[in-house]
Amino acid sequence: MTIRHDVLIVGAGLAGLRTAIGLAEHCDVAVVTKTHPLRSHSVAAQGGINAALGKDDSWERHAFDTVKGSDYLADQDAVEVLTKNAAAAVYECERWGTAFSRNDDGTIAQRPFGGASFPRTCYAADRTGHNLLHTVYEQALRLGVTVYEEWFATSLVVSGGRVTGLVALELSSGDVLGLASRAVVLATGGFGRVYGRSTNALINTGDGCAMALRAGAPLKDMEFVQFHPTTLYGSNILITEGARGEGGVLTNSEGHRFMGEYAPDQMELAPRDIVARAIQTEIDSGRGVDGQYVWLDLRHLGASRIKERLPGIREICMHFGGVDPVDEPIPVQPGQHYSMGGVHCDWTGKTPVKGLYAVGETSCMSVHGANRLGGNSLLETLVFGAVTARTVAKDLASTGEPDVTAVEDAAFRERERLQGLLLRKTGSRPTDIRRELGPVMDRLVGVFRNETGLTEALGRVRGLQGQAQRASLGETDREFNYALVRALELENMLLLAEAITLGALMRRESRGAHWRTDYPQRNDEEFLKHTLVTGAPGALAVQYTDVHLGRFEVKERKY
Amino acid sequence: MRFLIARSHGRAGETHYDTFEVEVKKGDTVLDVLFRIQDEHDPSLAFRYSCRGAVCGSCAMLINKQPQLACRTQVMGLGEKDMHLRPFPAIETVPPEWSPAQGVLVEPLPNLPVLKDLVVDMRPFFRALRDMELWAAPAQEPRTQGPEGRARIQRYLDCIMCAICYGSCPVNAEHSDYVGPAALAKALRFYADSRVTDRQRFLDAALAPNAAPMCELIMNCVRACPKGVAPGGAIRQLKALGHGHATDTQ
Ligand SMILES: Cc1cc2nc3c(=O)[nH]c(=O)nc-3n(C[C@H](O)[C@H](O)[C@H](O)COP(=O)(O)OP(=O)(O)OC[C@H]3O[C@@H](n4cnc5c(N)ncnc54)[C@H](O)[C@@H]3O)c2cc1C
Ligand code: SF4
Ligand code: FES
Repeated sequence: MTIRHDVLIVGAGLAGLRTAIGLAEHCDVAVVTKTHPLRSHSVAAQGGINAALGKDDSWERHAFDTVKGSDYLADQDAVEVLTKNAAAAVYECERWGTAFSRNDDGTIAQRPFGGASFPRTCYAADRTGHNLLHTVYEQALRLGVTVYEEWFATSLVVSGGRVTGLVALELSSGDVLGLASRAVVLATGGFGRVYGRSTNALINTGDGCAMALRAGAPLKDMEFVQFHPTTLYGSNILITEGARGEGGVLTNSEGHRFMGEYAPDQMELAPRDIVARAIQTEIDSGRGVDGQYVWLDLRHLGASRIKERLPGIREICMHFGGVDPVDEPIPVQPGQHYSMGGVHCDWTGKTPVKGLYAVGETSCMSVHGANRLGGNSLLETLVFGAVTARTVAKDLASTGEPDVTAVEDAAFRERERLQGLLLRKTGSRPTDIRRELGPVMDRLVGVFRNETGLTEALGRVRGLQGQAQRASLGETDREFNYALVRALELENMLLLAEAITLGALMRRESRGAHWRTDYPQRNDEEFLKHTLVTGAPGALAVQYTDVHLGRFEVKERKY
Repeated sequence: MRFLIARSHGRAGETHYDTFEVEVKKGDTVLDVLFRIQDEHDPSLAFRYSCRGAVCGSCAMLINKQPQLACRTQVMGLGEKDMHLRPFPAIETVPPEWSPAQGVLVEPLPNLPVLKDLVVDMRPFFRALRDMELWAAPAQEPRTQGPEGRARIQRYLDCIMCAICYGSCPVNAEHSDYVGPAALAKALRFYADSRVTDRQRFLDAALAPNAAPMCELIMNCVRACPKGVAPGGAIRQLKALGHGHATDTQ
């Protein structure tokens, strides 16, 4: 059986649902998602969404902050679209019912955020993503958008040089089915779980990027990975800057408050990347606790202040770490937080492969360049969800029917492949491979990088790819085979790990979130360029393409 | 530590319990343990997850006979917790091989059909959103709203649709057509939102025979909700509105 729709969207986070809403009235659109839409990682975003709403603010200033924050690697045409449409995107959600936090006069409240020259971050308490995702989901329900829930997309189908559908595993039955369409939009979110320590949801495994690469679409700027300085040791749940803003101090295993050596003026409140590098340096120099983490100490603030001002952070520490910050310091370490890179596309959502589009964190248009500003990624999902819907609707007019036979053949081959994997009785356990991959990426492709480490990482990742090809899952069932899902996600992550590492190895400079200890300077002459990775696992190749410069002159990034 | 986990293959299948010995350390959640079992002991064990941070609503299940989010439940300290729920068969009946002293009991969320192991069919829970049309009609222009207007609905906005209230409710246990507490809290969220112009339809939907009138104000939902939504309070208000009382929600 082959299912047919005009357009298939993979992913039901903010980007996927916003794209679906834009298409619902034009064509037969369906969303394929490996979890229920409300379980998407978008739900976890806390801080807010940027838009120049104030009379003293402007889209140009927002654009400048974004370009500067990106260390000048963002494409300025894409940034212009992002920032010009920001207010409309926020107001659209307001009109759909999002309960933004408000000023006394009833207008939408905005707060300051790192790297922004104006308080332009709109929020809904500390649950902005939750409120936006529920709103957008409600609107998709209103429009009756078809959703294939708990269907795991495994691969794209290409015929005659264009994407003509995809193959997916229906979790409830274990069936592998073909879905034919005239266009496919990838909106599968980030790939934080390639790292062992990540603030991301467990489902953020970058499936869309891996599928796109296998279908011939390049991946762009994969080496640019944002790390957050303070994540809870163990689960790596985000501990927001708020804890340090209230006066929390960082100490090492010797009880020494070390930020004085790294940022004597700003101390704990220095920019994210500086604090992350400081903590990592302490740990690498043997002054971490158990060699793993440092302490974020709030105890001196006193029980009442902690309970009153930081109730959310206290709750997180107690529920997820078994630690009450009133009595004990919080164990923290840097962790992966955001994926700037993704599927290469232009600001309209088009990839170089016909019929294939990308949007949201899975895409790289690129509006974030070498470093994303907080509050710009929620914005990206909504603005470019709408833009990509328009692009697809326009392209459909000149697109013929899908190649159903090719989709059927692909589904047949995928069934055989998965059968083979399920029947294999001996081989490494995916669990063991996953446990090795995370630390390799954390340690060698993390906050600090250098030639020796990256070369070692590349070799180890390729070795793990080989093991994964011979992996055996053990005894599983057909229905809700999460061990199979996790094995397929692991294959995807291994491919992305290679792309990230290769990009990082070849980029012999430091820019934004990419910090090379052996090349500590930015090098515009050679590397004011986007990295493009193409090819097959184990043999990926790197090329470069120009950054779309524009109104803002390339300067040193200094705050 | 010993974990007793309910296993089953689909609607027709029998449920049995498997026992696993798992090492636990400080900070481990029940979700961590389930992954360890899937990784080390039995790859066929099925359970839902996503955020591992109590924000996505995926991992509701019955842990030591209390409906909880697996990702937010610390294994150490499980013994001390008692939600004081009004009993009904699913949370009362204990498998003969288990007592709290012997370890941790993990079972699927009650009141929804079991699909496999700890995975239940969420469709009856989510169906109410569509049936009751719990969405806003798009407004032509952006609106203002005072902070107090938002504060009035804040608690209902916090719902993560985990279905713990549904799984803890003795009425849901007996009446599969009852829309359940979360949908009613959401109906009040729209009814009480100062921006909504067609608010009456939300009240009408909430007062349908299979909605608020079915609730017996047992309040298990209020005790069990991990997000402080207190849907039972919302239902009480909806009932009062139905009787023509308490009109100051907007
Ligand atoms: C802790 C945290 C806090 C954050 N806070 C902020 C903030 O304050 N402001 C801000 O702007 N940004 C923030 N971000 C970033 C922001 O949340 C994300 O970039 C954004 O939500 C991504 O949305 P998306 O729609 O692209 O992807 P997601 O919301 O991740 O959705 C991906 C979808 O793809 C589906 N999917 C994936 N793989 C498959 C597959 N193989 N088959 C089928 N379906 C699949 C998933 O089920 C899901 O529905 C934060 C991120 C983190 C980690
Ligand atoms: S009201 Fe509470 S228990 Fe019920 S679904 Fe919402 S968050 Fe879960
Ligand atoms: S995994 Fe998201 S609530 Fe538990």
